[in-house]
Amino acid sequence: MPQDMPPVGGYDAVQYKRNLPARGFRPAAILAGCGVFMIYGWYKLTKGIREQNEYAREKMWSRIHLIPALQAEEDRDQVRRYLADQAREKELLGENLKVYHTDRFVRPTYAATPENVTK
Amino acid sequence: MAARVPTLNQKSLYDTTPLPESIPKVKELGTSSAPLLSASFFIGARCKDYNDDYMQCKNENPGRGEFECLKEGRRVTRCARSVIDDINKSCLDQFRAHWQCLDNNNHQLWQCRPAEWKLNKCVFENLGLEKVVPDQPKNSTPVHLRKTQIYAHNPILRGEPFIPEKTQSQ
Repeated sequence: MPQDMPPVGGYDAVQYKRNLPARGFRPAAILAGCGVFMIYGWYKLTKGIREQNEYAREKMWSRIHLIPALQAEEDRDQVRRYLADQAREKELLGENLKVYHTDRFVRPTYAATPENVTK
Repeated sequence: MAARVPTLNQKSLYDTTPLPESIPKVKELGTSSAPLLSASFFIGARCKDYNDDYMQCKNENPGRGEFECLKEGRRVTRCARSVIDDINKSCLDQFRAHWQCLDNNNHQLWQCRPAEWKLNKCVFENLGLEKVVPDQPKNSTPVHLRKTQIYAHNPILRGEPFIPEKTQSQ
């Protein structure tokens, strides 16, 4: 009995690789596309942030122009209340007590409730 | 909760005692926030010196400014009031349109540019006051003169920004 030998020309190659089609764009193209997209996003973001900074500066300056007027009104009101309070105290106690050990103006943290609502 | 009677309400805390006669009277601004915001740059343009005086006085009298700076404060209030009065006299419609727009748009200046341009034009022509935002970078358009406002509900605006002619103001 003759020995079993390979066929003439050898065996066929064994197919071990998967044979799938490469789909979509090339990786380099995808990378470049992502880059472009991101740069566009950054561009818009930068523009938006700069515009917001401008808005903020505008708002800040409008406030700066208004602060003296608002503060002056508030100060006058505080002085009015303070003087009225001192006068009331003088009338009731006969003298003005010094509550704080300082000459600074201290916004009152208490309020004396009048018996009758003043008009 | 709601059934409890509030024991400390503001009603009985009113103190309506006027200032003593020794301190001159001044009429308060009596303006709410939207008109103030709308007129703020004109107030700044006309009253800058008074404002600076007042702030300097407050700075030099720490803790006593409430009493020492009453005179400067009256000047500030008088000046700001004069601006509001003048705008009311000559540009009432534009002024009203702008501050009502501000009131309706959460006080966002960029939502009301067309109304603002009209107001700026009227105020510049009648009172000679110009809106300038300080510290503007040299290579950029001031934000209140741009025709597109990115964050506005309608980013592309109709109307022309008002740019005063430099030859007149200088």
